[in-house]
Amino acid sequence: MSNAVIEIRNLSKIYRDFWGRKKVQAVKSLSLDVMKGEVFGLLGPNGSGKTTTMKMLLGLLFPTSGEMTILGKPASDVSKNERIGYLPEESYLYRFLNADETLDFYGRLFNMTAADRARRSDELIEMVGLGKARRRQLKEYSKGMTRRIGLAQALINDPDLVLLDEPTSGLDPIGTREMKDLIHQLKAQGKTVVMCSHQLADVQDVCDRIAVLFQGELKVLGRVDELLELRNEMQIRTTNLSEEAMADVRKVLEKHNVKDVEFSRPKADLEQLFLRTVRESGERPGRRFSTEEVAASGKGGNV
Amino acid sequence: MEFDIRPYNFASATLAWLILAGVLAALGLGLSLVLSVARNGKGGIAIFSSGLVGYLNDILSISPRRILALTQLTLKEAVRRKALLVFVLFAVLLMFAGWFIADANERPELQVSVHVTFLLTAISWLILPAVMFLSCWALPEDIRIRSLHTVVTKPARRLEIVIGRMAGLGVVTLFVLIVMGAIGLFWLTRRIPDSAKSALNCRVPVFGELYFISSEGQPQEVGLNVGDVWAYRSHILGNSRARAVWVFRGLDESCLTRNAKGEEELQLECRFEAFRTVKGSERSILQGISAQYTLASNPREEAFGMLAQSETVRPFADALRDGQYRNASDRLKQLTERMRTAPGELRPADYFGLHFGLLVSGSVLQYKKDPRLDDLAKLLMDASTAGQAVSEAQRTVENGGNAEIPYAAFADSLDLIAKALVEKSSDLMEALPRLEVPLASFHVAEYHDGDEDSTNLTRVPRKLKFVADYETLGRFLSVTVDDWNGSGRLLEGNAFKASLTDDLVKEAKISQLNAERLVEVLNEQLSGGSLVIDGGKLKVADNRSWFVFFDDLIRREALVSADTQGWMIERDLLNDVAKNGELRVEVACINDQMYLGMARPDLFIRKADQPFWAGYWKALINIALMLLLIIVLGVTVSCIVKGPVALFFTLTFFIVGQFFHDFMLRKLDGIEKGMGTVESAVLIAQHRNPEVGMDVSETAQNVVRAADKSLEGVLWVFSNIVPDFTIFNRAAAFVENRFDVPLGDVVLPAVVVFIGFLIPCILIAGALLKFRELESK
Ligand SMILES: Nc1ncnc2c1ncn2[C@@H]1O[C@H](COP(=O)(O)OP(=O)(O)OP(=O)(O)O)[C@@H](O)[C@H]1O
Ligand SMILES: [Mg+2]
Repeated sequence: MSNAVIEIRNLSKIYRDFWGRKKVQAVKSLSLDVMKGEVFGLLGPNGSGKTTTMKMLLGLLFPTSGEMTILGKPASDVSKNERIGYLPEESYLYRFLNADETLDFYGRLFNMTAADRARRSDELIEMVGLGKARRRQLKEYSKGMTRRIGLAQALINDPDLVLLDEPTSGLDPIGTREMKDLIHQLKAQGKTVVMCSHQLADVQDVCDRIAVLFQGELKVLGRVDELLELRNEMQIRTTNLSEEAMADVRKVLEKHNVKDVEFSRPKADLEQLFLRTVRESGERPGRRFSTEEVAASGKGGNV
Repeated sequence: MEFDIRPYNFASATLAWLILAGVLAALGLGLSLVLSVARNGKGGIAIFSSGLVGYLNDILSISPRRILALTQLTLKEAVRRKALLVFVLFAVLLMFAGWFIADANERPELQVSVHVTFLLTAISWLILPAVMFLSCWALPEDIRIRSLHTVVTKPARRLEIVIGRMAGLGVVTLFVLIVMGAIGLFWLTRRIPDSAKSALNCRVPVFGELYFISSEGQPQEVGLNVGDVWAYRSHILGNSRARAVWVFRGLDESCLTRNAKGEEELQLECRFEAFRTVKGSERSILQGISAQYTLASNPREEAFGMLAQSETVRPFADALRDGQYRNASDRLKQLTERMRTAPGELRPADYFGLHFGLLVSGSVLQYKKDPRLDDLAKLLMDASTAGQAVSEAQRTVENGGNAEIPYAAFADSLDLIAKALVEKSSDLMEALPRLEVPLASFHVAEYHDGDEDSTNLTRVPRKLKFVADYETLGRFLSVTVDDWNGSGRLLEGNAFKASLTDDLVKEAKISQLNAERLVEVLNEQLSGGSLVIDGGKLKVADNRSWFVFFDDLIRREALVSADTQGWMIERDLLNDVAKNGELRVEVACINDQMYLGMARPDLFIRKADQPFWAGYWKALINIALMLLLIIVLGVTVSCIVKGPVALFFTLTFFIVGQFFHDFMLRKLDGIEKGMGTVESAVLIAQHRNPEVGMDVSETAQNVVRAADKSLEGVLWVFSNIVPDFTIFNRAAAFVENRFDVPLGDVVLPAVVVFIGFLIPCILIAGALLKFRELESK
């Protein structure tokens, strides 16, 4: 027995119009497995069939041909949903409910007891940081807040398999960060996560394996570290390097016949900058930072 | 609108439903199998069966908790989306209602009717559009904004989603309806002026069966027609033997009401139509036409009435009806004489009528299970069989066959009856008592002010005082004397009690003069030797029965009433007249050359009135069921099409079901005249009329007719799939006309129709939603 959570074999999907005429072939004989406990990323440009694949897995769409099982059950079997959490591309929720009611409602669809539901929604609302807004109707929510409550509802049943369709879209950097942490956390709990995203940096950070789709076809499939490793480049990082030391290093390298040596100050990427600013603003409210200060405190690289 | 709804046949309705549901289910499954194979080729069968199994699984794993969650979601949505604003509209409407409903000068009943009609119409037509819109729009909207996606990726079955939707909308509707109903009732009691309040109630009618007796004494299903072919009423001619006869069954104490003095009464309410052939004076026109009720218990009419069908046999039948059995025997002998000597003089219809009448008479007498009647009943049945043999042989001969017509055997069996009638005449007289109580006449207004609701209410006291006819008097005296004799209240030693006259006045409730006359005659008979005293009891000397003894006296005019009023006696309406709960009410028209028109619902026994709300809540239930059915249909349709289309379909269903259902049924039954659709089109194109027919070849005609037949099949399916929405209006019509709503015959059918649609609709809707892609646009 394999420990594949999702098995897809030769899956195709053709969208047809009302008269049965072919409109688009969104997925072309796709085959892949997702193993238990891994974080799997589905990548690809817009319109490459990521969402379509996910919806077929969930039984929202019916495949044109091919087979798939999810948690060992056919996609059309509703009972598989007991152990699945799904965060749609956009959060499709009832806008007249507030956060508490939303979680309570979805909890009831899992036949959870009232006490369980209350405990679980407290946890989740805390986790997604909507404590202050929990009594407001969703129609008043901003995009990111909607996304957060969407995530919370996806986790209401403590699922074994989580399907996240562009989990970071609409989130602020803190949210993005937290999302990544959450995914790590889920992985640590032994859950399986399938996500699709355009944020390659995010994918790179969290995914064990990725698949790249292009126009419905599978182009690349493999482990992230293996795929991204640049085998013939090396990077040296240090602090307080003087002009003379730099010239010495250059000499040493030339002696070893290494050409194309480049010296530059590493830049903290924007994500790091933003995160730091927000964090430090929290510690020292009311202050504005100059560029030098940000750069100076940035020495040392990773946050 | 008629208010004498025929009893609802639950069993046959259920059976028809089962058959239809079975056929439709088979069709639906077959069709989806074909579709599945067409789409997926060979794999289609597997897909179909796994889908079916999955669906059955869904049905079995339905969870009330999830349904409840979905129901509450719908509730919240309705509340938060302000569906309840409909109340505001309602309140506004009621506030300004005064502008467009009737003024206070109308008759109280009319005022009440107008108000109730307004209220019930306002309630149903205010909620109806909201309900239709909500039920058709909710699911497609959910699918459009994809909030349903999040729900179906939870363990919620799509069947549960459908049920939750329906239930949620249903609860909202019921809530709105209950609140509106309560406000409406309050509004009614405040708005209806005090002068009309007394009419704010529900009459509880008991309807009977109606048949007519013609001027010639022939029992008929319908009366005369005074010229209007479409007339709903039949007429009886004034000042003739013609009668309209209502037979009420199942009468008991509950049918009586109490008047202000606490005395029990029977209320007879009628609504006849007066039709005059001569103008008369202005006064007589305003007065209208006089009608008279006769309350009767008449087993002889029941038993022998049918023999009066044929003119030749009628003299025999009339003699029997009158209880003149010797006379009847003579008439019958005359008949058999003719049958033996010149059998051809009697028409085949006479033979058949005789055979049929004998069958009815025999059966009625047998049914009475009275040993005094059994012999005659058997003879009647035998004769009927012999008569049947005659009729059959006659038919064979008529059709060119060869048969011996057994006239002689028939005549022989009839002679046996003639003989028995003489021998048993006194038994028959006692076993088949006729009691007739004529009531005071009343006027039927000719010109009703605007509506036809001009009613006459007659209160009949339970203790009926009336002038007895010979037969009734004989029976009354014989029963009284026999009874008193038995209990020793008659004699004192060897003479009548001194206080007998007073006792009779007090206890038998006869007049002083008549009591004196009776005691006087009894004394005469005793001294004359016709009566003897034996062992302390009074006896008729020649062992005749008391009835025969008194009947004889009366016929010899020895007991003519001593006072001018006639023999007034008192009888009990329930115990004496309506024996076994069966009451005949005969209606006669008194004026010469005038006619009274009547139909079955025109006369009814009015039980004690119910308070208004007793009918009102039942009307609300029917309205609720109608709205719920619309919800069910709307949600079902909206599982497969978008909001506007669903709305269109539901509206079509409603309109067809409301206004054309009856037409469809009549068309199918062939009551609605006319050619088929295609044939009519051909006729119109060819400018020909239906009598001439189409100007096309034989084959073409057959093709056209076949096309029409299949269209009729479509119509049949349609008439069964589209609910009959008129069923739901009935209860309101009852209340609007101030009638109570019969629960079993008006509310139950509505419930049954609703459930009959609910179950298949839920299953269909669940399947539609399950086997569609939510994503496809
Ligand atoms: N309901 C639909 N009807 C018709 N075509 C559709 C439908 N949904 C998606 N498609 C088409 O299917 C293809 C794949 O769409 P899909 O949404 O799966 O892409 P995606 O990889 O999720 O893209 P994105 O990154 O933009 O979310 C696209 O060409 C799209 O136009
Ligand atoms: Mg997508």
